[in-house]
Amino acid sequence: MLVHSGPMVGTAVRVEKLTKVYGVGSAPVTALDSVDAAFGRGTFTAVMGPSGSGKSTLLQTAAGLDRPSSGQVFIGDTDLTRMSETKLTELRRTRVGFVFQAFNLIGALTVEENIVLPLRLSGAPADRAWLAQVVDRVGLGDRLRHRPAALSGGQQQRVAIARALATRPEVIFCDEPTGALDSRTAADVLTLLRAVVDEQGQTVVMVTHDPVAASYADRVMVLADGRVVADMPQPGAARIAEHLASLDRRAAR
Amino acid sequence: MIVLAAKLLRHRAGPAVATLIALAVGVLILVAMGTLVESGLRFQPEPRLFRSADLVVAHREISQTSKDFTGDTETTTAALADGTVDGKLVARIRQVPGVATVAGDDRVIVDSPAAVGHGWGVFAFTGRSIAEGSAPQTADEVVADVRLRAAPGDQLGLTIGGIRKSYRVSGTADTGAAQVFFTDAQAARLSAHPGRFDTIGLSTRPGADGGAVTEAIRRIASDAGVTAYSAGQRGHAEQSAGLNARSLLIEAGSAFGGYVVLLIVFVVAGTIGLSVRHRRRDLALLRAVAATPGQLRRMLMAETMLLSLVAAILGVPTGLLAARWVHGELIDRGFIPAGFPLAAGGLAGLAAVGVAVLVAVLAALIAGRRVTRIKPVEALGEIAVEPSRSGPIRLGFGLVTLIGAGAAGGFAATMSAATAALASAVGMLYLFVLAVSLLAPWINAFAARLLAPPLSRLWRASGYLAAKNLRANAQGMATVLTALVLSVGFGGSVWFLQDNLERQTMTQSRAGTLADRVVVPIGGDAAAEIRGLGGVRAATGVRHTSVVVTSFEGVQAVGAQAVDPAALSTTMDLDVTDGSLDKLGDGTVAVSVMQASTSGWQVGDQAELWLSDGTPANLTVVALYRRGLGFGDVTLAKSTVAGHLARDADDEVLVRTGPGADAALGAWTTAHPGSTVIDAGTRDQQIGADLALGAWLNKLLIGVMVGYAALAAATTMVMAALARRRELALLQLVGVTRRQIGRMVNAEQAGLLGTAVLIGAAIAALTLGSIVRALTGSPIPYVPPLGWVAVLGGVTLLALATTIWPVRRLLRIPPIDNIGIKE
Ligand SMILES: Nc1ncnc2c1ncn2[C@@H]1O[C@H](COP(=O)(O)OP(=O)(O)OP(=O)(O)O)[C@@H](O)[C@H]1O
Ligand SMILES: [Mg+2]
Repeated sequence: MLVHSGPMVGTAVRVEKLTKVYGVGSAPVTALDSVDAAFGRGTFTAVMGPSGSGKSTLLQTAAGLDRPSSGQVFIGDTDLTRMSETKLTELRRTRVGFVFQAFNLIGALTVEENIVLPLRLSGAPADRAWLAQVVDRVGLGDRLRHRPAALSGGQQQRVAIARALATRPEVIFCDEPTGALDSRTAADVLTLLRAVVDEQGQTVVMVTHDPVAASYADRVMVLADGRVVADMPQPGAARIAEHLASLDRRAAR
Repeated sequence: MIVLAAKLLRHRAGPAVATLIALAVGVLILVAMGTLVESGLRFQPEPRLFRSADLVVAHREISQTSKDFTGDTETTTAALADGTVDGKLVARIRQVPGVATVAGDDRVIVDSPAAVGHGWGVFAFTGRSIAEGSAPQTADEVVADVRLRAAPGDQLGLTIGGIRKSYRVSGTADTGAAQVFFTDAQAARLSAHPGRFDTIGLSTRPGADGGAVTEAIRRIASDAGVTAYSAGQRGHAEQSAGLNARSLLIEAGSAFGGYVVLLIVFVVAGTIGLSVRHRRRDLALLRAVAATPGQLRRMLMAETMLLSLVAAILGVPTGLLAARWVHGELIDRGFIPAGFPLAAGGLAGLAAVGVAVLVAVLAALIAGRRVTRIKPVEALGEIAVEPSRSGPIRLGFGLVTLIGAGAAGGFAATMSAATAALASAVGMLYLFVLAVSLLAPWINAFAARLLAPPLSRLWRASGYLAAKNLRANAQGMATVLTALVLSVGFGGSVWFLQDNLERQTMTQSRAGTLADRVVVPIGGDAAAEIRGLGGVRAATGVRHTSVVVTSFEGVQAVGAQAVDPAALSTTMDLDVTDGSLDKLGDGTVAVSVMQASTSGWQVGDQAELWLSDGTPANLTVVALYRRGLGFGDVTLAKSTVAGHLARDADDEVLVRTGPGADAALGAWTTAHPGSTVIDAGTRDQQIGADLALGAWLNKLLIGVMVGYAALAAATTMVMAALARRRELALLQLVGVTRRQIGRMVNAEQAGLLGTAVLIGAAIAALTLGSIVRALTGSPIPYVPPLGWVAVLGGVTLLALATTIWPVRRLLRIPPIDNIGIKE
C-alpha cells in the first residue's frame, strides 16, 4: 500500500487558508479556521474529528458545493473560488463525485436513471462499457429498474457510489458514507472505495467517525474546532481510536 | 429535460395536481368568458328594414369628447333608447346630387299584436317584394308581414297608443320580422314623434360617385349631430335587442376578464411556488449532482409547459360547455334575445390557452428565482427548509400598498360626488387585497404571536403546538391567507352590494309609492281617464325612459321617469331634500341627490341633458330627492318628453283610491282589453323579481371568482396537510395523543381561517359601507342573514374538507409507518 505523506506525485485537491464563518451577525460560528491541506492523486484520506469540528464544512467547500468565507480551493489547477455558479456546476459534473450520508438519490428516478443523471445533465455521451463495469462493481446489475425506495440503505449507498463513479471524476468526496450501515454492508462499501483508488487511480476524501472505516484509508486527517490538529499516515484502527479518545479527553478538560 | 421533468412530476404528484387544477379551471373560466366576448364581438346585426339602402342616417348615441387632467382627450358615448333624426334632413339629403331615393322611417310601435309599423316609403329599402296583393292606397290599408298570418282582403285589428283600429290587408310580404306597412301619410299620423324619423335611408343613382355622396351625407349628418352609417354598418343603425346583448357580453366579459387573469396569475404562481418549496431537497440534490441553476429553471419551465398543455386539453372543452350553459341561461333570463348566436369559441380557446401558458411561464419564472437560490449543500441536511425570511422589498411594497388602500378608503368615506366615492371604494378594495397578498407572511406571523396566549389557554398543549406551527408555517400559508381574504373581501363586498342595491331599491320604491293600485294600461292617455273615475282620489301616469347626462366621467345614460306633475304628492313620495316638486313642469326637472352630486347640480341650476330621442334639453333643477334608486335618478314632467318617446303611452298609472274606486277601475279595465289593475304590493314583488333577475349575471361572475380563489386555498391546504405525515407521526411517537393532535389541527385552522375571515370581512365591510353610503346615504350596509351563514359555513367547510379530514385519515395510519417514510 502506498502512503503519501511526503512530496506528492500530483495534487488532486488543495485548500489554502480556507475559512468558513456561518451566521454572520449576532453569533458567528467559525466552522473552518484557515485550513491548509492537499490531497494527492490516487490517495484515500479519512477526515475525522469530534462532532461540529468542521469536517462536513471542509468537504462541502472543497467540493465546490458551498463557497468559503475566505481562502482558496483548487481541483487540480483550477481555482474554484472565483467561478460562476454555472461553471462550478459544470466542473462538479465532470471532475467531482459525491456520496452523502443519506438522501443521495432522487426518488422519482430508477437506479439506472440515478446513476446516469450527471451524464444526462451534462449531455455527455454515456460510456456504455464503463457504466456496465461500474454497475457490476457495485453489484446492482439486477436492480437497475427499481426505485431507490425499494432498496436497503447499503444498496442505496452503493447506487450513490456508482453515480459518483459514472463520470470518472478525479475526486470523490464522501460524508459518512457508512454512517447508517451495519458493519458487513459498510465493509462492502469501503472495499469498493478502496478499489476505486487502487484500480482507477482516483482520489477519495472521506469523512467518518468510525476508526474501522478510517483504517481503509491511506491517511488520516483530524480536525478540531475548525483546525487540522493531526495529519498522519493511517496507523491502524486501534491507534486511530486511541488518538480520537485523547482528543475527546482534551476537549472535556 | 422534458423527460426528466415528467418523471419528477409523476413522482411528486401532489403539487403538480394543485397547479394543474388551478390552470385547468383557469382555462375553463377564460374559455367560457372568452367565448361569450367573442360571440359579442362577432355579432353582426343584420339590417332588417334597410337591407338594400346604400346609406342610413340615424341617431343612436350621444358621444362627447373631453380633456382629462393629463391633457389626453377621452371620448365617452351613451346609447340612446329611442334616438330620432329631424324630418327636415330628408329634404336636404334629397338635394344631394347622386341620391336616387330617400325615405324616413316613421317607426310605429304596435302594441297588439306585437309588431312594428312603417310607412310604405321605406318598403323599397327592404329589398323584398310583395308576395300577394298590392301596396296600401288608403289610410286604412296595410301590407302585413306573413308572420301576422293575414291574407289580402282580411281585416287586421291593430292597437297603437291605446287605440284599436281595423285595417284592410292590401297585400302581404315576407320582410323578415313582424312588420306592417301603412301609407306614408297614415304612418306619419300614427307616429309618436311627428316630424322626426327613427331612421332615414337612401339609395344612390347608378353611376353616381358613391364616395362623394357618402361624404356629403356624412357632412349633413354631422351638422345635425347625428350619424351616417355606410352599407356595412347599417345593422348598427337599426334598433335591435341584439346590439344591447352584444355590448352586455363584451362589457361583462372584459370587466371581469382582467380580474380573472390577475387571479389566475396569483393562484398559479402560488401553486408553482409551493411545488418548488415542497421539492426543495430533490432540487438541491439535483444541484449537487451537477444541474446548473439554469437547468433547474429550464426543467421547471418544461414542467410548467407540460402542465399547461394538459390543463388546456382539460379546460378548453369544459370551458366551451360552460359557455354554452351560460348562453342558455342568459337567454332564459332575458339578458340576450333568443337566437343570439354563440361563437364557436375557436379564437377564445386559443386566446385562453395562450394566456394560461403565459401566466404559467411567468409564474415559473418567478418560482425560478427561488430555485436559483437553492444551494446544493441543502441536499445534505436533515431537512431542507426554505429560509423563512421574506424580502424587505416585498415588505416595502406591501406597506406602500396598504397606505394607498388607506388613502383610497379616506377618499371613499369623504368624497361627496357619488361616482367618485364609488371609484375610490373599488380602488380601496383592490389595494387592500393586494396589500394583504404582499404582507401575508408577516400577517400570519403576527397573528400567530397574537394568538399564542389565547390558544394555549383554550387548548393547553394542543393550542401551544398550534401557535408554534402557525408561526413556523407563516410563509407557507401566505397563499391560503391571501386566497381566503380575497374570497371573503371580494365576495362579501360585490355579492352583498347586489343585495344592498336590491333592498334599497325595494325599500325606496315601497316607501315612496303612496298609491295603492297600479293600472298597467296599453296606451292612450289612461291617467286622465282614470282620474275621472268615481272614487279615485289621484292618478299619476308614469313613463319610464332614460336621459343622457354629463358627469366627470363623461356622458352617461341614467334611468328617468316622466310623470303627471299634478297631484304627484298624493301618489308618490320621492323624499325631497331641497326645493319642491310643485314647480315640476315644462322646462324643469327634479334629480336624485346622488345624480345631483355626480353631475354637480343644485336647485336652481340649469341641467343640460339629452332626452331619450337625442334632443338636447336645458332644464332648471327644481328639486332634489333621495329615492333615486326606487324611482330613477331623473324625474321629468310628461309634457317635457311628449313627442320624444318611441311610444306615446303611459307605462303605468299610479292610483290612490277612495271608496268605490275598485269597482270603477274594474269596469275601466274591462272596457280597455289588455290593461290590468294590480295592488301596490304585487307591483313591489314584480320589481323585486326583476331586480333579482338583473343581479343574476353579476352574482354568477363574482361567484366564479370567489369559487376559484377558494379552490386555490383548498388545494394549497390539502397539499400542506398531506405533507405533514412525518411531523404528525413524530408527534405521536413522542407522546402526543391523537386527540391532542386533532385539537392542535383544529386550533391551527381556527387561527389561520379566523384571521383570514376577520381581515376579509373588515375589507368587505369598509368597501360595502363606503359604496352603500355613496348610493343611499346610509352608512350601515345590510348583510342578509343567509350571507353570514354562507361565509362562515363556507370557510368552516373548507377547513374541514381540506385539512381536518385529511389529517384524521393520516392519523388512522399507525405512526411507525409514516415515520419511516422516505423523503
Ligand atoms: N448552515 C449552518 N449555519 C450555522 N452554523 C453551521 C451551519 N452548518 C454548520 N454550522 C456550524 O459549523 C460547525 C461545523 O459544522 P460541520 O457540519 O462542519 O461539523 P462536522 O464536523 O461535520 O460535525 P458532525 O460530525 O456532527 O457531522 C458546527 O459548529 C456547526 O454548528
Ligand atoms: Mg458532518
